[in-house]
Amino acid sequence: MKDNIIIETTNLCKYYNGDKIKALDGVDLQIKKGEVVVIIGPSGSGKSTYLRSLNLLEIPTNGTINFEGNDITDPKANINKHRQKMGMVFQHFNLFPNMTVLKNMTLAPIKLLKMPKADASLKAMELLKRVGLEDRAFAYPSQLSGGQKQRVAIVRALMMNPEVMLFDEPTSALDPEMVGEVLDVMKSLAKEGMTMVVVTHEMGFAKEVADRVIFMSEGKIFEEGAPEEIFTNPTHQRTQQFLHSVL
Amino acid sequence: MSEWFADLKADFILNFVQENRWKFLATGLRNTLIITFLSVLIGVVLGIIVAIIKSSYDKTYKEINSRFKKFIFKIINAFCDVYLTVIRGTPIVVQLMIMYYIIFASSRNSLMVAVIAFGINSGAYVAEIVRSGIMSIDPGQFEAGRSLGFGYPQTMLYIILPQAFKNILPALANEFIVLLKETSVAGYVTIRDLTMGGNIIRAATYSAFMPLVAVAVIYLVMVIVFTKLVNILERRLRKSER
Repeated sequence: MKDNIIIETTNLCKYYNGDKIKALDGVDLQIKKGEVVVIIGPSGSGKSTYLRSLNLLEIPTNGTINFEGNDITDPKANINKHRQKMGMVFQHFNLFPNMTVLKNMTLAPIKLLKMPKADASLKAMELLKRVGLEDRAFAYPSQLSGGQKQRVAIVRALMMNPEVMLFDEPTSALDPEMVGEVLDVMKSLAKEGMTMVVVTHEMGFAKEVADRVIFMSEGKIFEEGAPEEIFTNPTHQRTQQFLHSVL
Repeated sequence: MSEWFADLKADFILNFVQENRWKFLATGLRNTLIITFLSVLIGVVLGIIVAIIKSSYDKTYKEINSRFKKFIFKIINAFCDVYLTVIRGTPIVVQLMIMYYIIFASSRNSLMVAVIAFGINSGAYVAEIVRSGIMSIDPGQFEAGRSLGFGYPQTMLYIILPQAFKNILPALANEFIVLLKETSVAGYVTIRDLTMGGNIIRAATYSAFMPLVAVAVIYLVMVIVFTKLVNILERRLRKSER
């Protein structure tokens, strides 16, 4: 395997109800280090299922996921260790409501990386400053706006120094005027060379930031390529239909 | 009026002061408190363990890929189910007497037998309370914990249980109050608890009013004080929801 490939899935399948519902139907994809991959597609196309199976929040029925040279679908693999290197951002933020922003961010590094508390707090404050939330460190999630919550969720994932960031529709639950602030944080991450896999409906973001756009439908990859190709000159009829309805 | 008051005073002296009869209430109260606090400890520990086993079984059984582990897990879960069914399906007095006269027939330490019986009984109720608390937490919290790299037990301990605890505090307090009052049947196995203490005085003085009302008032005061304490704790835990 080539050493600049960080995630490779081979024939990834996820079936429900025996094999009646095929959420994922044989997805082969290679993601290079530093690449920003944006997955688009109609709802029910399996794009979220695919993203969630990358860190085994969904257990695939078939196929393998290779992360940094290890097959993480192997039952003997230490999934908790691999997950530490894959930051995940959810549609509904999933901040811990009973903890302050600072505690949300420092819990995992203190417990899992054995980072001293002072160092973790320092690092958290630095990250909060980067996303313009240093004055909200001691606020509880319920006191934040949606956009602020999602920015906190992003920096919480960054606290673990992940190799890859997975974004599962990070702006879908936000009021329109808050989408920009979250996308800005993601853009700056992309600029710094973070490997990112993003499931989104923000076509503007895909055009501007993606290195590669994947179009999924019915649990399969229909088309992939540079954003210019996909958006201006889609070859597949399904892609044309989809883009026609969203753009 | 003054006659009625004098009667009351005489009654009081007869029941509590003469022959130091108040001591029956004091030792009774002590025994009631010992049984309640020790059995609540057993109940909470047992309840949390059973609740975690049962909710983990529901959540993770499908994901276990070793046949042997699945089998073991299934047996443990079935054992928990039997425990809940039997304990919740039979009266506490019967359980207490079975413990005292059959299982621990050779033990003369009736206080400890009662602690075990009440603890096991309370554990079944606490288990269902804790389980409802765990289930009340959004699955997204689990996923967030797991995605950061926490294992299942760590996610439970650091993320789920603290949130669940806040939600179930009123129900847990209720269970504690029920348990405190349920210990009044400890007299069935020769324990001199608070209720028994009052009853002994009543039998000695042939006057029912004073000792029984006194017993009732003591239970009531304990419950009121405890409720106040829980309210303070609850307010503290809720400070993240403004």
